[in-house]
Amino acid sequence: MITCSPVAVRVGRRAIADKFKGRKSMKAKYVYRVGVAAFLVLALAAVLPLYAGKFNTVVDIGAPMPAFSDLPATDGMTVSSKDLKQSVVVLVFLANHCPWVKGSEQDLIKLVDHFKGQDVRFVGVSVNHREDDRLEAMKVHSAKVGYNFTYVFDESQELGRKLGATRTPEYFIFNKDRKLVYMGLLHNSPSSMRSDGTINYTKGDPTEFHVKDAVEGLLAGKTVSVDETRAQGCNVEYVQK
Amino acid sequence: MARILALSLVAATALLSGGCAQQPPGTVPAGDSIALVPIAFAAWQEKLAGYAGDIVVVDMWATWCVPCIERFPHMVKLHGRYSPRGVRFISMSLDDREDTIALDRAREFLVQQKAVFDNYLMDEGITDAFEKLDLLSIPAVLIYGRDRSLRFKLTGDDPNNQFTGGDVEEAIEQLLQEEG
Repeated sequence: MITCSPVAVRVGRRAIADKFKGRKSMKAKYVYRVGVAAFLVLALAAVLPLYAGKFNTVVDIGAPMPAFSDLPATDGMTVSSKDLKQSVVVLVFLANHCPWVKGSEQDLIKLVDHFKGQDVRFVGVSVNHREDDRLEAMKVHSAKVGYNFTYVFDESQELGRKLGATRTPEYFIFNKDRKLVYMGLLHNSPSSMRSDGTINYTKGDPTEFHVKDAVEGLLAGKTVSVDETRAQGCNVEYVQK
Repeated sequence: MARILALSLVAATALLSGGCAQQPPGTVPAGDSIALVPIAFAAWQEKLAGYAGDIVVVDMWATWCVPCIERFPHMVKLHGRYSPRGVRFISMSLDDREDTIALDRAREFLVQQKAVFDNYLMDEGITDAFEKLDLLSIPAVLIYGRDRSLRFKLTGDDPNNQFTGGDVEEAIEQLLQEEG
């Protein structure tokens, strides 16, 4: 990505250099330098989105969990951030239609079962506005697949937007102070469902279980060792304001 | 006589194999057939370098990416409008190379869309492909200047600034206008 910058600068320098041709005063040189610097910043901004985390344009580790209220869930209830009393909260962004979600949801279900009765709460969040990702479709999908966790629809897209959640599935883990301690993949082999219904673990059998390890660590009072991984999946589509 | 015949045979063979009709591997004959050509990342980098002189618009897509499918016709339309001005369009599929059903579907889609440009399939494990291409998700459109510099990387990485079809058009216009 950085490879874009030198050329952009060259283009800018040429244009600006022409403008100041034959004027060698200190002031002109200063203006020239400021111009080049400004161009560089603008050119980079045009090409590259700025990132807060390594792979997230909005939040970095340590960010507070955004408050949310009355998000409708597939079980007919609503969920607000203040209702989450557990010491660890895992928000996972999902989309019914997405083969990367379909390819990993059985692993997610097993993980939720693994932590059953422990002080952690899993909440699935759907953000897309396409019909097959909305609440009615979420109800059908979660019942069919057997989701054993709360699954809410973030229709305003505010929760997803505030967390910079742009892929499904993408995991965000918050500690008891509701600070972000992990974001990214479930484990180190993102998996998708193939057209024939089989699951493709893209990096072979998973060997590092990021979400499981982070939650177990937090429950044991430890710090999280891997805090950000590169989530892989379908793009979350936000309404552009 | 036999000698002359032999010589002309040699010449004809050399002409056929060396100069004219041979397609280098991995290229798609324009217009008459649409194929999905597997290409590894390293070969793709070389291929890209070989396009020097053109503005190159690369549409990163996959059959599993619904918004990619929805946006594809616009890309075909832009190809029709801008290819006479030295803008080369390429589609790069990030489908699972072992999902034969998806690959068949991808080929059918390209034919149905009349995607008469180079259509590649990234021949890497899919997560490796995303990492090597430095992409977080698709749809994404990469636009290279005539000197091969990456000038626009249009993605959905920022929830507040996800690209639209209009952004692709604007970016191409900007590059053309820079040329005066």
